[in-house]
Amino acid sequence: MVYWHLFRKSFACNMQYRLSHLINNAASAIFGFVYIAIWTGVLTGKEQKSPYSILDMTYYMGASQCILWMTVFLTAGLGIQLGVRNGAISIELARPVSYYFYVVSQEAGRIAYNALFRSLPIGLIFSMTVGFYVPSHWTTFGYSLLSLLLAIGISLNIFYLIGISSCWTTEISWAHFIILTLMFSLGGQMVPLTFLPEFLSQLAKWLPFAGVVYYPVLIFLEKADHSVLLLQAGWLLVLFFANHWITAAARQKVEIQGG
Amino acid sequence: MKLKLYIKLVSASIRSRMQYKMNFVFSMVSYGIVMMIDFLMLAAILNRFNEVKGWNLYEVGILYGISSVSLSLYRTVAPEIHEFEKYMIEGEFDSLLIRPVSPLVLLLSKNLDLSRIGGALQGMIIIALSLYHVSHTHSITLLLIYLPVILVCGWVISFSLALVTATIAFWTQRIKDFQTFTLYAPFYAANYPMNIYPGWLKFIFFTVIPVAFINYVPMLFLLNKSGNIYYLLLPVLVALLFFYLALAFWNFGIRFYHSTGT
Repeated sequence: MVYWHLFRKSFACNMQYRLSHLINNAASAIFGFVYIAIWTGVLTGKEQKSPYSILDMTYYMGASQCILWMTVFLTAGLGIQLGVRNGAISIELARPVSYYFYVVSQEAGRIAYNALFRSLPIGLIFSMTVGFYVPSHWTTFGYSLLSLLLAIGISLNIFYLIGISSCWTTEISWAHFIILTLMFSLGGQMVPLTFLPEFLSQLAKWLPFAGVVYYPVLIFLEKADHSVLLLQAGWLLVLFFANHWITAAARQKVEIQGG
Repeated sequence: MKLKLYIKLVSASIRSRMQYKMNFVFSMVSYGIVMMIDFLMLAAILNRFNEVKGWNLYEVGILYGISSVSLSLYRTVAPEIHEFEKYMIEGEFDSLLIRPVSPLVLLLSKNLDLSRIGGALQGMIIIALSLYHVSHTHSITLLLIYLPVILVCGWVISFSLALVTATIAFWTQRIKDFQTFTLYAPFYAANYPMNIYPGWLKFIFFTVIPVAFINYVPMLFLLNKSGNIYYLLLPVLVALLFFYLALAFWNFGIRFYHSTGT
């Protein structure tokens, strides 16, 4: 199957940069330690005012640093804008395979690589230093995996949406920058959504960004109801169909930039 | 002579950038907004818990603003230092070595990233708002007088750290991963008071990556937390020392440059 082949090739391609990525893992862990120190400073003496204890926040930060590499740090626009700029997209769209799955399967290969060579080592660093949460029910592992897969699906679709929009805008670097910021802030990476001001907190819980970091982490920490999986699945479907519709529109729009 | 040349080269670069006015305005505004959201997250935490180890929202706001302005000013002035690895990977550094001006001056004059000014403006707004609130409880006259010195020192320290990181590229070619260690993580950490960090992190931020001197040390004295007037001298001394060391390291590293041969 062609998509499985693309997935494996993309995985193998990333293997070439293992060493440099391992250095970067240490940097990710440093960020995690800084976040943990901030929350320890903030919560010391005030744990009774917070729904989460210092230990909860330590686990939260550890888990969110791991998941970032599978759901947030994806390739900008999944690289679609590069093809738009140099005209290669006209050939890619003409291929007898689905353009959507052609792009997404390559990124999925990279995510699989990140899971093994980034998320896992970062998790190990935390478990050897500040500790890493171990769910008390074995079913939590299943739910966490499902939530993680949904999170990856949502994220792939958001990045695809930004990428395919380049058919109209050509330039996506600022859109990418803004979407990353939204994923960090409204995704609950540094500040769990319950700590945001009431209005923003209520709003953010319904947005797709929460499904990218916040919900998978909470499910793993056994602090969220399983119904949030439905919200994640809903967003995944909406984004999936939106992308198919936009890809069809892009097919009509493609023009050769007279090279 | 060098300054005259620098100004001439920089103004040429600004004129070329201004050909794309809309893109410039849009990128500056979105950069400012993105950094503002960053601050709102910090404000959300402190709004809920009042303070972090004795520092309230407005005091932390001053720390955040100074760290943000310092980093943004460096990113405005030295984008080519920040992106230095491309000179190594694509072998472009050769062309800088054969000119009759020092490669560092050429790199600095090649480009200005004016869109980063949005970040500096945002930082200044946060400093101003925080100072307004702090002025209800403290006298801020000395702080206002000394603020320009603090900002210049912060800028010099961030530039020096970036230059040291860029120099590493003479051996490793790639520096993106190192920048997370030497710039992104420390500057993020410097948004908060240093007394919240564990000993080993504090040690790093007071010595090898001295971001503590950008804002925390002078503010300890200026916000009547602790220390004495000599705390105001420390940022200047650290900035000068680090700038000197960074230049020396750059001049040492440049001897190890070898072209990619492409």
